[in-house]
Amino acid sequence: MGENGPVATRILTVEDDERIRTSVKLALEDEGWRVTEAGTGEEAITAFAEEAADVVLIDIMLPGMDGFEVCRSIRRQSDVPIVMVTARADTHDVVAGLEAGADDYLTKPFAPKELSARIRALLRRARPVVSGNPKLIFGSLEVIPQEGVVTMNGQPVHLTKTEFRLLVELANHPGTVFSREELLDKVWSHGVDGDSRLVDVHVRRLRTKVESDPANPQHVVTVRGLGYKLQP
Amino acid sequence: MTLVLSVALGLLTVTITQQTLVNQREESISGRAVGNAAIVDAALGSSTDTQAVLSSLSDAGKASVVSVGQDGRPVSVSVDQRFGVDVLPRQLKDQVVDVRNPAIMRFELDGQTLVAVGVPLGTAASGYFEIYRLDDITTGLRSLIVSLAVATFLTTVAAGVLGYWASGLTLRPLARISEAAEAVAVGQLDTRIDERDYASDRDLAPLAMNFNAMVDALQERIDRDTRFASDVSHELRSPLTTLNASIHVLVNNRDEMPERAQHALDLLDADVDRFTQLVEDLLEISRFDAGAVRFEPEELAIVPLVHATVANLGYPHVEVESDTELDQLVISCDKRRLVRILANFLHNADRYADGPTRVWIERHDPDPFNPFDELTVRIGVEDSGPGVPLDERERIFDRFNRGDQGGSRGADIGVGLGLALAAEHASLQGGRVWVEDRTDGGEGACFVVELPFVDLEDVLISDDLAAATPEATGMLTLTGEHAIITPHEASPGGTA
Repeated sequence: MGENGPVATRILTVEDDERIRTSVKLALEDEGWRVTEAGTGEEAITAFAEEAADVVLIDIMLPGMDGFEVCRSIRRQSDVPIVMVTARADTHDVVAGLEAGADDYLTKPFAPKELSARIRALLRRARPVVSGNPKLIFGSLEVIPQEGVVTMNGQPVHLTKTEFRLLVELANHPGTVFSREELLDKVWSHGVDGDSRLVDVHVRRLRTKVESDPANPQHVVTVRGLGYKLQP
Repeated sequence: MTLVLSVALGLLTVTITQQTLVNQREESISGRAVGNAAIVDAALGSSTDTQAVLSSLSDAGKASVVSVGQDGRPVSVSVDQRFGVDVLPRQLKDQVVDVRNPAIMRFELDGQTLVAVGVPLGTAASGYFEIYRLDDITTGLRSLIVSLAVATFLTTVAAGVLGYWASGLTLRPLARISEAAEAVAVGQLDTRIDERDYASDRDLAPLAMNFNAMVDALQERIDRDTRFASDVSHELRSPLTTLNASIHVLVNNRDEMPERAQHALDLLDADVDRFTQLVEDLLEISRFDAGAVRFEPEELAIVPLVHATVANLGYPHVEVESDTELDQLVISCDKRRLVRILANFLHNADRYADGPTRVWIERHDPDPFNPFDELTVRIGVEDSGPGVPLDERERIFDRFNRGDQGGSRGADIGVGLGLALAAEHASLQGGRVWVEDRTDGGEGACFVVELPFVDLEDVLISDDLAAATPEATGMLTLTGEHAIITPHEASPGGTA
């Protein structure tokens, strides 16, 4: 136990069903994580304010404040990785969850091992720069992977960890087209059956932050039928 | 039809009119000519001044000519200088002067229609002739023809327009209802008819109202089914989540358990997996039944996807064959559903044969003699098992049909919904699935999924959805992202 670091990584799970909450807590603790529970959205916000977690697990269907709202609220104050848990794999729930700021999602019932793998992938640091150049410059956009800093026209841009990893992945090989599957593998460690919507919504989120006109992107461009690339 | 009828009627009118007018004219001319001839005959006996005699005649016609021939008397005196004896047809002169019969004759002269009347005079070999022009009748007839033609044309057009308008007035509302019914049939359940348009029609107003009520009921029913499926889904998934998480804890601590408990745990673990799969499949198929599934196409390079799927699902040793020309092939399909189909085929081969032996991808070019044959992409999964007998080949895609192997289940058991779901997943994206003999003729089955080949150029191209502004994301929520383009060139896999 506790193999996930010298100080165990803390996971905040927000779930209204007590049996699910308890069993997931037991399973995650078995995987070596430290778990804090919250039964409602309001409780989760309070708990997060008291002690910031390293990863937040949010069930979408919550009484009162729903999962999307909790997600947005936490996202406003932190770039912590967030995993949404849904009982439905409907496009609506998935995309709405990702739009609200979630980094990944899981459908109930999930295997605790799978959840653990997702969490580990989200906690990974961005890959080291391959070019050796600590600063990657694309016109008005600058990326310093080692320091986790991105600036647009000299102004710092705030990215979530996953958005940042996605950007660095593309920026490490400017001009190279990455398929959605490749990006799912590199950024999320998902297999081929991973959900391409993760990539698409994250690209969209990224564009709203690093493009002066997100509808007409100059940096993160779509290559039709193939995927995405960073325009050198 | 209307036009033909009008023209025919017009022609008939013209002909009858012409006939009547000419007959009337000829009657009056011959009556007068006979009268004049009698006067001339009498006068010629006493006077030699032909000109004076002629002047005294009733001269209603346009021109009249007296010809007295062959006995030395004046041959021709004409009131109208244009016509003389010389214009008279020989036939007429013979008839009157020689045969001594009164006669009337119509003839053409320099493009004019003339009518001549001849009456034999008392003296031998002489006759009295009057010549009239029928131009006024011809002109009158011509203007009549023109008026009739114009009237015919106008009437026809007016009748056509009126007919179209009148029939449209009756049929257009029905056509609209028919269109609405078609829209509902293809799933546009928000289709309604504007009842106000029908309020004035006693017959159609109830139809419109009932139609809307029917669609309301249908939509409500589908919504209810979908909601029910969703609720059931939630209710089933919640305890399964607890089960999965708890068993995970037990399995992690298996070593600390007595042997009997370990055995029980293994059974529990396997059956919870099986149960989970069953619930997933049932929920999936109920979504199909409730009409709650949505085709979410994306552009996929099919060959790398199949390679990765086969390897990822635990068959890295299985060979995936395809022509190199297909390596760059990108089709528009629903990735999740395609992966589910392939997973099902592969697991099926595991359960009923000794695992998949070979996977192939090929482009199927349409048979030029079969108009229904289309360009498609086919993916086959082959095994070396006993194969599927001909009479089972359709039935195995039915729900809960396990084929002949149903009775001889081993420890690894399937549920019997997988192939039925594969068929649903395929048909949702315009494709199909079937089972056939192995292509190399060896013993075993080959499960094939066929997907329509959608060329990128043909795919509905919306805006770059990933670039959509947050306000526009409502659309993305519904459609998923597909058919993305940017004007930038593609450089597949290469580094720039």
